[in-house]
Amino acid sequence: MADPARIKTELPKATANDEETRPEDTEGASTSGSASNETKDSADQLKPKEESKNESAAGDDDEEGTSGETAGKRLKVEPEKKKEKRQKVDEDEIQKMQVLVSSFSEEQLNRYEMYRRSAFPKAAIKRLIQSITGSSVSQNVVIAMSGISKVFAGEIVEEALDVCEKWGDTPPLQPKHMREAVRRLKSREQIPNTKHKNILFH
Amino acid sequence: MADEEDEAGFDEEPDDGSSGGLDAGGHGKRKRLFSKELRCMMYGFGDDQNPYTESVDILEDLVIEFITEMTHKAMSIGRQGRVQVEDIVFLIRKDPRKFARVKDLLTMNEELKRARKAFDEANYGS
Repeated sequence: MADPARIKTELPKATANDEETRPEDTEGASTSGSASNETKDSADQLKPKEESKNESAAGDDDEEGTSGETAGKRLKVEPEKKKEKRQKVDEDEIQKMQVLVSSFSEEQLNRYEMYRRSAFPKAAIKRLIQSITGSSVSQNVVIAMSGISKVFAGEIVEEALDVCEKWGDTPPLQPKHMREAVRRLKSREQIPNTKHKNILFH
Repeated sequence: MADEEDEAGFDEEPDDGSSGGLDAGGHGKRKRLFSKELRCMMYGFGDDQNPYTESVDILEDLVIEFITEMTHKAMSIGRQGRVQVEDIVFLIRKDPRKFARVKDLLTMNEELKRARKAFDEANYGS
């Protein structure tokens, strides 16, 4: 899996050239921390560019309503301001994450590392999807599907932990918690189910 | 009666927890694909460090069912019979968490590809 944490150590040159180097914290505390910084950083450099593209498209609508300003000038100034604001917000978030992760206990660090690093094996997912479609799928599809599946698993585990706490039990989670979590998510339609067709007029 | 819908989803989960059981109903015979990874994932998401095997099995069945459903839906929209990224993004559009995650992952992948390409070219040049 293209684990950003691992890629960072493999390509020190590329990443150092691309992004401003953040001051290195102590090794132990922020292996995950700096990994998260790198990922946030790279995501954050691209996001503002995407956003500004959207802005300049939407800007056409905005500047119709304004009077007394050159259309071209307003179009140039607006995306810049929004981009700076967004970069600032992301930087704040990155700093907050840094502060948070640096204050983790050992157990919390372990859990956070597992949270970030665990992933479904790409080969197995690809095999599964291909066995269903019968034709080959692109790499992006596998990346997207494994990412969504991880979020899905997370939603179930979180709901199951809620159920467990509500019922006064303790982790580890038992199958009854999982089933109740699935039942709740189904009622919220967060679990796709195409087996049952609603016949409106019978 | 209300249990039936739940049970139908879990008929491949025999009560004794064994994954190789020769019961007539369901996928009891399929090998467990994601046992190790799911254990780490459950710990990361807040469960105990050693989650119960039965819970891991339930979660694996759910994930495989999820992937199957998404694949079938993706095959039925856009270009028929094929699964493309745009279809997945379209199917996930209502769920903010998953949508944001997919966007992030694809953006990150593009950037990594670019970085690797630049690195290789720099290496080749020198």
